[in-house]
Amino acid sequence: MTATRAERGRRARTGVGVVLTAVMLFPVYWMVNVSLTPTADMRHDPPFVVPVHATLDGYRTVLDQQLPYLGTSLLVGLGTVLLTLAVAAPAGYSLAKLRPRGGPVLAFALLLAQMIPGIIMGIGLYAVYLSLGYLNTLPGLVVADSTIAVPFGVLLFTSFMRGIPDELLQAAKVDGAGHLRTFASVVLPVSRNAIVTVSLFSFLWAWSDFIFATTLDAGGDHQPITLGIYHYIGNNNQEWNAIMATAVVASVPAAVLLVVAQRFVAAGVTGGAVKE
Amino acid sequence: MRTLVSPPWRIGVTAAAASLVLGLAACGGGSSTAGTSASSGGGKARTFTVWDPYPQFDAASDWWKLVEKCGSDAGVTVKHTAFDTTDLTNKALLAAQQGNSPDLLIVDNPVVSTLADAGALTTTDDIKADVSAFSPNLLAAGQSGGKTFGVPIGANTLALYYNKKVLAAAGVDAASVKDWASLNAALVKVKAAGKKGITFSAIGTEEGSFQFLPWFWGSGANLKKLDSPEAVSALTLWTDWVKQGLAPNSVLNNTQTTSWQEFASGDYAFGENGTWQIANAKKSGLDWGVVPIPAAKGGNAPAPTGGEFVTVPVQKDSATYPTAAKVLSCLTSGDNALTTDTTLSYIGGSAAIQAKQAANPDLAVWVEAVKAAKGRTSDDLGTKYPKISEPMWGAFQAALSGSTAPQAALARAQTTAASAVR
Amino acid sequence: MTRTATTRTAGDRAGTSAREVPARPAAPVYRARSSQWAAWGFAAPVTVYLVAFYAYPLLRNLDLSVRNYTVRSFVQGGAQFSGLDNLRAVVTSPTFGPALTNTVVFTVTSLVFQFTIGLALALFFQHHFPLSGTLRALFLVPWLLPLIVSSSTWAWMLNSDSGVVNYALGLLGVDPVHWLTSPQWSLPSVIIANIWIGIPFNLVVLYSGLQAIPAELHEAAAIDGANARQRFWRVTFPLLRPVSAITLLLGLVYTLKVFDIIWVMTKGGPGDSSTTLTTWSYRKSFGSLLPQFGPGAAISNLLIVMALVAGLLYVRSAGREAGA
Repeated sequence: MTATRAERGRRARTGVGVVLTAVMLFPVYWMVNVSLTPTADMRHDPPFVVPVHATLDGYRTVLDQQLPYLGTSLLVGLGTVLLTLAVAAPAGYSLAKLRPRGGPVLAFALLLAQMIPGIIMGIGLYAVYLSLGYLNTLPGLVVADSTIAVPFGVLLFTSFMRGIPDELLQAAKVDGAGHLRTFASVVLPVSRNAIVTVSLFSFLWAWSDFIFATTLDAGGDHQPITLGIYHYIGNNNQEWNAIMATAVVASVPAAVLLVVAQRFVAAGVTGGAVKE
Repeated sequence: MRTLVSPPWRIGVTAAAASLVLGLAACGGGSSTAGTSASSGGGKARTFTVWDPYPQFDAASDWWKLVEKCGSDAGVTVKHTAFDTTDLTNKALLAAQQGNSPDLLIVDNPVVSTLADAGALTTTDDIKADVSAFSPNLLAAGQSGGKTFGVPIGANTLALYYNKKVLAAAGVDAASVKDWASLNAALVKVKAAGKKGITFSAIGTEEGSFQFLPWFWGSGANLKKLDSPEAVSALTLWTDWVKQGLAPNSVLNNTQTTSWQEFASGDYAFGENGTWQIANAKKSGLDWGVVPIPAAKGGNAPAPTGGEFVTVPVQKDSATYPTAAKVLSCLTSGDNALTTDTTLSYIGGSAAIQAKQAANPDLAVWVEAVKAAKGRTSDDLGTKYPKISEPMWGAFQAALSGSTAPQAALARAQTTAASAVR
Repeated sequence: MTRTATTRTAGDRAGTSAREVPARPAAPVYRARSSQWAAWGFAAPVTVYLVAFYAYPLLRNLDLSVRNYTVRSFVQGGAQFSGLDNLRAVVTSPTFGPALTNTVVFTVTSLVFQFTIGLALALFFQHHFPLSGTLRALFLVPWLLPLIVSSSTWAWMLNSDSGVVNYALGLLGVDPVHWLTSPQWSLPSVIIANIWIGIPFNLVVLYSGLQAIPAELHEAAAIDGANARQRFWRVTFPLLRPVSAITLLLGLVYTLKVFDIIWVMTKGGPGDSSTTLTTWSYRKSFGSLLPQFGPGAAISNLLIVMALVAGLLYVRSAGREAGA
């Protein structure tokens, strides 16, 4: 008796869940709708809820022209992830376990760093990059995008690593491991969830960044997809179905990543080292 | 034991990743050309940077091929970057500040005085370019203090596109629209026939000001006095249209593109838009025509000139100026200019080109409109214009949204503008 | 390891599981002086990173706000020091009042709704039902979209004449609402779009926070006779406090920076009805043909100060709670 009731309850939840998701994703549906709409129907009153005169022109344009931009975005995203992890993970470990004197000051500085509006960062970095010769380069963009993710990454790693029981670290020390070895062979493997979460956040933020791309890489040979969209926003001329098609195509790899990684993200955000 | 999962593997991966990033940095740093000018004398083709506001064109387009050809004719390899036009002013200023200006800069004409004021542009005297062929009314937008800071690549302006089918169904003859009274009568008839009247862009940016100016100037008003009775009548024209349902509420947020999309849907009788929509008009499948924007009491209203100027930014090493002058002249004269203007759907900047274009029936109306057009920064307004334009768009936004009456909105705008230009 | 999991002491357990373990004499080894070198060694990359990449833009912005920059002096240099003039001009401008009010309303409303809806969804997804993982991942899709695309999509949907929202309202017999073009509705419209964009972040963080609460605590409370609502308020919510605090703080910082959504949808208009401090700062520096960098920088400094104050409040409350 209870089994079927519970089952019915679960299925009811699925139903409610589907409805909620549909409501939440309605704008995304609209985006796809616009991407299939021919220009003549764009501002039709009343709007076509389903694209009755569907055209693949937008997508054709995108596939012809945007694939290099997608590749660049992928490269920049991965680079940002690596750099963010490389900087944030040791810092999180330090703040969580090694407690340097002045640690709280560092933590506060990181909080402050997140408050600086992106455009100010962009303009400031422009001057720095120009003198270093990193303007219009991909590594430069990777570094800039990581500034979005590193402070948050340190925050996440710190809170997660605080939950690592000291016994584990003690055990390594007793085995004769130095700090570096402890970090690499004890802390990192146990922090897998946090690593995946930070990677996800930094990838997504780098993927959708526009400010740094336009300020620091506008003249580059390789440009990310956010600049690729601007290709269609011409002087007085905007091809909206191409813009939306680009967005749809750009969202696909990120969406795949999300579905795959969400399992880790759940446990990764807060302390949970022991609750594997 | 779970905690001792392959540490050497992990370290190895981290090391590999680090070296990958460093490796990329090394390659990237080496091959990046930050676009600074002044190469060492080497006799070979050096990079010549060109910035333009046409991101809709890519490397395969006629425009890019033309720029490259002009570059190679002048003995240089062109590095071409396109930007969004609203971004370009700030990028140009930032670059000028850092000594990173391009060799050739193509910018929207009202921006020229701002860049000139910043000392970021050379004059045509500096680079020894000949400007005698260009129409004075078009050149004026790039002049301040008696000096010329660039040449027009072409010009565009505004007129009224009309939908022949909608007008016919309402019993309106397009040729009868000669002043505001006849325009209003036509709009009322169209609405009575069940269609929509007119669409335009009244967005709170320079684009909105651009669209408001033909009506503003057509009423006889002057930018130096925003709250004159003529100006109020122009704004009242717009607010009455929206109040009476002759123009849609979305004009408050419309860009010229979205306004065009509304017109292209086939429901509107009139759409105020520019030369650059000709190509779209032909694709739209509508039976369309064009009439000049009427002035309040008859005749054609002076419309503002759109279109970009080709300018040569100041460089540390003036050795690049002769090359820049050559490329500039290549792009803006002779047959090249005609190609450029045809690609951009602009009207030529010189009388010679305009004459050639006037022979084309599609363009004849536009050539006339451009001849009567005015630069926004002309009348020696220069950098005062932006300080007047912004309160002006604030005024029509406030009036159209119904929160302020036109007279009060313009009075407030005039106070703001007057104190800003002092 | 004994745990007395009564609802009363649940609040003391805020945060770390390490706290459950009694201190051992061996622990101080980690705080030996030689480990200060190690500590700073690990923290060195991020410190260098901070100084290299954040200090310069921040100082540059400060410089921009205390000098009288014209376009000419921006390019050529030599701008005069003008102290607090820019700030004074900003604060006495007629736009300041509306911008400040709008910023507060925008931020508070967005945070309240994003947090509440995110929490409600996180609680909903706590139970495992078929498709729960996939649906939860789908909820994050708005996050993937470039902001210009999501803002444009909302702008299209809320268009007065050709938007689908007014069309739906029309089907219900309601008059079309001028979402983006009337002074009354422009701010609510951008708030709605911002809430939509902010729900995924809140959902992810709060869901993980909920996952970290041991199930035994809920069971024990249930055994003690607490019903669902009591379990939530006495067990779940207190344990969630540190995660909630950081979510709200980060949400505040990110919401203060929100620009694209408002700019694309309404440009801060009509008039100043949806102008916030951030959009005003952008409008001053980049939004007109004649940039005014000084006032723009002054406004963004104000924003940083506001976020700083919130950060200090957070640190004070977090410090008090964790007893760190």
